[in-house]
Amino acid sequence: MSKRQLAMVMDLNKCIGCQTCTVACKTQWTNRNGREYMYWNNVETYPGDGYPKKWMELGGGFDAAGDLQPGIIPNIEADYGVPWDYNYDSLAEQNLLSDSPEPGFRPDQSPTWGPNWDEDEGAGEFPRDNYFFYLPRICNHCSNPGCLSACPRDAIFKREEDGVVLVDLDRCQGYRYCIAGCPYKKIYFNPKISKSEKCILCFPRIEQGLPPACAQSCVGRIRFVGFLDDEESQVYKLVHKYKVALPLRPDYGTQPNVYYVPPVDAPPKFDENGKIIEGSDRIPIEELEKLFGKEVHNAIKTIKAEREKRKKTGKSELMDILIAYQHKDMFRLDHNYYVEVAKKKGMKPLPLVDERYVAGKYTKPSSISHFKVHA
Amino acid sequence: MKRAVTIAAALSVAASVAMAGNVVTAVKVGSLKGLKCGAKVIRKYAKFTPIAVYPQSTLHLNDKKANELNKDAKAKIVQVAALTDGKRVAIIMRWPDKSKDVFKGYKSDIYPDGFAVQFAANADKPEKLPYIGMGSDGRPVEIFLRKAYGQPVYEPNGNGDVAHQVNPHNAPYFGKDLKKFEKAVAKKGSKEYARAFVSEGFRSMSQIKDGSVKWRSDMHYVGKKGMWGGMIVKNIKDAYSKPSKNELAVAVAVWDGKELQRDGLKRLSSWIAVKLPHAKNKALEAVVNEQVKGDVANGKKQFEANCASCHNDRNFHNAPVYMAPDLSNIGGQATAAYLRESILDPNAVVVPGYNRNQHPNFAWYNVDKNGKRTSIMPPFNFLDKKTVDDIVAYLQTQKAEVAK
Repeated sequence: MSKRQLAMVMDLNKCIGCQTCTVACKTQWTNRNGREYMYWNNVETYPGDGYPKKWMELGGGFDAAGDLQPGIIPNIEADYGVPWDYNYDSLAEQNLLSDSPEPGFRPDQSPTWGPNWDEDEGAGEFPRDNYFFYLPRICNHCSNPGCLSACPRDAIFKREEDGVVLVDLDRCQGYRYCIAGCPYKKIYFNPKISKSEKCILCFPRIEQGLPPACAQSCVGRIRFVGFLDDEESQVYKLVHKYKVALPLRPDYGTQPNVYYVPPVDAPPKFDENGKIIEGSDRIPIEELEKLFGKEVHNAIKTIKAEREKRKKTGKSELMDILIAYQHKDMFRLDHNYYVEVAKKKGMKPLPLVDERYVAGKYTKPSSISHFKVHA
Repeated sequence: MKRAVTIAAALSVAASVAMAGNVVTAVKVGSLKGLKCGAKVIRKYAKFTPIAVYPQSTLHLNDKKANELNKDAKAKIVQVAALTDGKRVAIIMRWPDKSKDVFKGYKSDIYPDGFAVQFAANADKPEKLPYIGMGSDGRPVEIFLRKAYGQPVYEPNGNGDVAHQVNPHNAPYFGKDLKKFEKAVAKKGSKEYARAFVSEGFRSMSQIKDGSVKWRSDMHYVGKKGMWGGMIVKNIKDAYSKPSKNELAVAVAVWDGKELQRDGLKRLSSWIAVKLPHAKNKALEAVVNEQVKGDVANGKKQFEANCASCHNDRNFHNAPVYMAPDLSNIGGQATAAYLRESILDPNAVVVPGYNRNQHPNFAWYNVDKNGKRTSIMPPFNFLDKKTVDDIVAYLQTQKAEVAK
């Protein structure tokens, strides 16, 4: 266990599956150097096979007794999807009349799977009871990480200061037991450097006062970032105060630190005559229970009750939080804390590049000299 | 107690010196410069000794597919030879492998064949050699690893060279310029996957990256024979291994990519005595070849009574899988002296075991404030000498059969 834990909450009610987070992450971290096939952040359609294909069936995680379970390492072609390119170069030179092989604009691979291969397919029968929702996923920076436990070289560690789980690339030897051990399959093998790599929760950004790229770029403003022990943070309020944000697949036993506000109130189903079935919900509660555990019932109840309260009284802190008015309230990155940590380690604290998200348990707005409270 | 162990070891050693299995004689040659697999000097002078390598089964790793493939893994015979020019030593290996598995391409789930040679930092006290699984606290080993790679391997952050990490189609080049760029990128990689490590127990293994150890390696597959050849050349004395007598304690390991082997999933020999010219001492070869003449049947009974509640082996599977080191191949990898020491004084070598989080109910050791490990196995020093010998004799039968 780390001393403090940085966490993220994602509100699934507002995710529109636009993949802006995916692109932000990709261009920041994974568009090069052997990481091309990796999506440290991806948004998949649930129900669906996801990325990598059928990741929930590939093992890893812990059983009830706390023993790490064996897992399967996915294949790039079949399970992740090889990134493909097109034959731009040859287009200019092709003789469209006589050339062989046949001319044309083609991908340089014949892909059989890729991220979002089954986008928006969902389940059920259109138009009666079909449904799907989006499930954005990053590394969960677990409190009991499967990847860390599986590593025979002690190459994976959890940062003491904020619980970010990282790979020490000097120690990693590319054995890939971490991939088998992670039940979310959110750690990847880089074939170019022959080592494992994963989401780093954008720690170099966080240390300089910027939220993770996925969170800051989210157009639906579904992502909240803050420390779990910071009672002022919206993350704390969603997870601990209102208990409406729940970890994904808590049954894997890794104690994830990315939390989800479950989708509440999908449209009702239709009967055979196309009439609305009153009181029905297209998203089966069993599916939500599978993803978020039994707590999901209470979470949904709380959200519905708070919504009613808001309708009647015009007041509800929870609704205000979920509306996500201001980035500066959604992200509390506690800049002074990181400065103190750096000093203690004898390192030079990194300069602040953005002053809007610096507040936190150990960072009062007034302690940043030029901090302005935006109305 | 320790004294008693040493004397007991010395006594039983005397009986078995005659048979010399795990001994390789280093042949003196003029020069080892530019030595490669298949070199004339190897064919002419190298004296090969057959050495059995046994599957590692102490720990159960967590790759489902690999575990299925390795469930009934058999032992292999590796032919090992040594050459020396006085200053350097070459360890040469040949081992059967029906398929040539090379790591090549944009893949996530294939593994290359490979081999490693492990040197005990010194072999002055042969009855206290390092733990065969990459050393132990206070008994370091130096390891040289070579894997079959069909493409260059790059440094994680391109050694700080950002410009050459960009993908070709993101680079601002076309045609000839792009080819030039790709060539420059390829130059940044290292052609061979060859690494040296120093280790005091397998979880402590650290790569030697500061250039303090000079060594070379080569590996070569002979398709017609279905055999790999591999060799490493290193200085007899270097920063991490300092043999004081003219002999080296060496162990070899091979990996088969087809069986998804890497890391602990491998075949590993016991300690081998490599005799350099003018080696007079017999103690090391005595230790590595000691076959205890005990009552195996009684040893089995004693094992059941004293050990089987925690340790599984080929005959007993009563203990929870993760409870303690699995001894199914211990007879192929551990010396009798090590087995005796481990029974009488389990704290002498504490096997690093699983990550502490992996199977939290089965801690193999306790750790004190200073990081010192104490085995949770109690010392069995109340057993009389005959019982210990019988158990050791029984444990020496615990090994996979050699594949034909």
